[in-house]
Amino acid sequence: MKPQPFLRIFVSPAALCALGFLAAMATVLQYSLRAYVPGSLDVGGFTLDNFTALLRPLYARVFLDTVWICFLTAACTLIVAYPVAYALVHAQNRLIKAAILVIAVTPLFLGEVVRTYSWIVVLGNNGFINSVLLKLGLIDRPLQIMFTTFAVVTALVHVTLPVMVIMLAAALAHIDPAYERAAQSLGAGPIRAFLSVTLPLSTPGIIAGVATAFAWTFSAFATPQLIGGGQVNMISNLVYQLGLASFNFPFAASLSVAGLALTFAVLSLLRVAARPLERFGPH
Amino acid sequence: MSSLAAERRLEGHAETLPTSGSDDASVRLLGTCKRFGAVTALEDATISVRRGELMSLLGPSGCGKTTLLNLVAGFLAADSGQIEIDGERVNDIPTYKREIGMMFQNYALFPHMSIAENVGYGLRMRGIAKPDLKRRVAEALALVRLTGVEDRRPHQLSGGQQQRVALARALVISPRVLLLDEPFSALDRNLRASMQIEIKEIQRQLGVTTIFVTHDQGEALSLSDRIAVMFEGRIRQVGTPDEIYRRPADRFVASFVGDVNVLRARLDSVDGGLAAVTLGRARISVSREPLTRVRPGDRVDLFVRPEQVRFAQAGEPIAVEGTVAAHIYQGDHVNLYVDAPEVCASRLLVRSLEPDAITRWPIGARVGVSIVGTGAIAFEAEPDQRGGEPRSG
Amino acid sequence: MVGTLAVLAILGFVILPAVVVTLAAFNDKAILAFPPETWSWRWFATALAYDDFRSGCVNGLIVAGWASSIALLVGTAFAFALDRYAFPLKRTIEAVLLSSLVVPHFTIGLGFLILAAQIGWARGFAVVVACHVVLVLPFVLRSVYVSLRNLDQRLELAAASLGASPARVLGTVTLPLLVPGLVGGWLLAAILSFNEFTASLFVTAQRTQTLPVAMYNYVREYADPSMAALSVMYILATATLLTVANAYLGLGKVLNVEPRR
Repeated sequence: MKPQPFLRIFVSPAALCALGFLAAMATVLQYSLRAYVPGSLDVGGFTLDNFTALLRPLYARVFLDTVWICFLTAACTLIVAYPVAYALVHAQNRLIKAAILVIAVTPLFLGEVVRTYSWIVVLGNNGFINSVLLKLGLIDRPLQIMFTTFAVVTALVHVTLPVMVIMLAAALAHIDPAYERAAQSLGAGPIRAFLSVTLPLSTPGIIAGVATAFAWTFSAFATPQLIGGGQVNMISNLVYQLGLASFNFPFAASLSVAGLALTFAVLSLLRVAARPLERFGPH
Repeated sequence: MSSLAAERRLEGHAETLPTSGSDDASVRLLGTCKRFGAVTALEDATISVRRGELMSLLGPSGCGKTTLLNLVAGFLAADSGQIEIDGERVNDIPTYKREIGMMFQNYALFPHMSIAENVGYGLRMRGIAKPDLKRRVAEALALVRLTGVEDRRPHQLSGGQQQRVALARALVISPRVLLLDEPFSALDRNLRASMQIEIKEIQRQLGVTTIFVTHDQGEALSLSDRIAVMFEGRIRQVGTPDEIYRRPADRFVASFVGDVNVLRARLDSVDGGLAAVTLGRARISVSREPLTRVRPGDRVDLFVRPEQVRFAQAGEPIAVEGTVAAHIYQGDHVNLYVDAPEVCASRLLVRSLEPDAITRWPIGARVGVSIVGTGAIAFEAEPDQRGGEPRSG
Repeated sequence: MVGTLAVLAILGFVILPAVVVTLAAFNDKAILAFPPETWSWRWFATALAYDDFRSGCVNGLIVAGWASSIALLVGTAFAFALDRYAFPLKRTIEAVLLSSLVVPHFTIGLGFLILAAQIGWARGFAVVVACHVVLVLPFVLRSVYVSLRNLDQRLELAAASLGASPARVLGTVTLPLLVPGLVGGWLLAAILSFNEFTASLFVTAQRTQTLPVAMYNYVREYADPSMAALSVMYILATATLLTVANAYLGLGKVLNVEPRR
């Protein structure tokens, strides 16, 4: 075997981080199985009550809403991101390329709160859209855009767009342009060539992007909290409410565990769906 | 294989090798084996590179030549057998203590260092003081005829210049052995020829022992003092270029080095060290050595170089008759391909220096071919005899 | 043509909030109006003078500095081992570290909050930094790993053949060539950590509150444009940083979206 200098020094810190993370997750799991003692931060004995409580219509509804919003967001993001990724990879002018990249990627680095606040300013009752529509005389009183699923999904698409663009662009960048040219030389029009060659070859990027968009949306908190305003609730809001407002850590933990299980279920489902498509991939 | 068996075999080799000659050897491998998983990359390699000589490792890709080089460099560890540099066993000595100089296929110049820093790197690792270091870097760059580029970065130089830097970097530390890994493959044809001459001159001038890996037989023939021909992990033959070309040890060496026609013939008779074979209507005298297991009347394959075949002139005995099938014009000569199904399943390659060869022997012309000189070699016929194709490297 | 218009429209959608929030920031009145009737810089002054924003910014820099630097050290070493070495639990450790990408941040925040309480840590900076290290580590790991993959290993062999010991190969060849990847990874980690909100909301206390948390609390309480002014400064700083990063490091390369040659 080849010598592996510094192996221990290189791996131990990472192993420690992994252990810390696992410990945090294990704590959540442990708490999800404990009884809640009202008015106290301490927890009671082991129980499955928290999980049976999740089946109550109130919570089941939030779960369904969350999945629906995640699905909607991922699908919309894909449709919106694909043209941008394509333009980014195929732009000839370096300056245009850099501009697209910076514009498309900046929201990623803005943070949830700034982005969410900006959307409140855009969508609010005396916000930008309503002001413009009123000025133009198209409406005579403000539209109620805030606190709707539409508003939440719009803001969430804005959140997931950059990462989707990056993942699609990475996939598109690794497709040899000669394939599309070959298809065109064989008589396929540009659209046919794209649909029959480039699109299938970018499938791995699409799957990765959709999976990430789904996971990020699931994780979003400030957006549904501030733009949903209690009318549109996601699991994250419930966890926060239960954990930091009512100090019902066991129930918050069980919600987290169920949410985590749901995330991994959806992600592995996506992976399974991707498997037959992956052999078309460029690698 | 158990290590015990390997050890025993190693002893066997040590006995057969002239130990007195070892002070002449700069690099020596004794029964060295290297496997990657189930693949044997190098099988039982025993070879001795003499001090100051340029030894080529020649063979097709995957023959084990790069593995052998990497074992000498210490980038790989041998599974069994011994590797010596200057009489010292180096199996367990890491690369950086082996005092070797290596030139890589893509030169591997450090992109973040200037030319002077690149060349001086090995000296810095050896703790050479600054003034001395500077002088030796300048000397090394002068040796490869590259001056005034000290402060540039590698990517600012041409391919040929980069190669000079790589050579200077490898030589400046006065290595015990210089290892060259396909150093000319990235250069265009003209540059390649001039760099080959230059490297050979520098190597001779410094007298540095050099191991040179190549898959290009022409390169190996023109540069080497000796060549080791390798195939499928084994060293097939070690010898001077002339020995390799004229007295190939086996069918593989004969067909890999130089162009060759493989013709169907029959063993006629044996007489001491010589044997006579019948090819068409001619009788040709060959060495008996590769034919020890063949009896008179048996089929043999006769290996004939293109320059040993020519179109029979008036009155000259004709060995075989055939039809001209194709011409390849090469400037200084013409390659003519002749259909002669009687002796050769593929086409017979005849090399003509006549400027009017193409008009003299047009396609479709019937020609008589004769064998000239005594350079032909016969080997035992291969079981599934299809008649080889003339191969070129 | 249709494609170009679509791309322009989408890019418009991406920058619309930034443009609108900029307009709002210069509105003199405390209540939103488009276009603003009178213009003013006063909300910028208000935002800069607000105590929670100031301490949040300082706390955020402390946390981001520590978390990204620790993640850089840990991630670089591990990416190196991942690329070169074989060791037990290699894939397991990698999978655990990368899984923080898909585990919801509220779960991670909740986990570290409860864990810190259980082992008796006060809600100080340590737990915030630990949580952020776990969150940004995948990004550093990926950035360094990609750089390592692109590194021609023959350069290291060349250094070894010239007499450099493994430690000196690392110091004189490997690390210097990794610098763009390291800087890119560190920058990415620092920006992400400084912006991290959901997990921070769980693990920070009043004393360790980072800027996003302070902003969130402000938005819940007040509606005046000082938040818009702060957002504008935020957007400008981030865009500048990214443009610089793109010019010097090639963001395309860091993010792996350059077409292959």
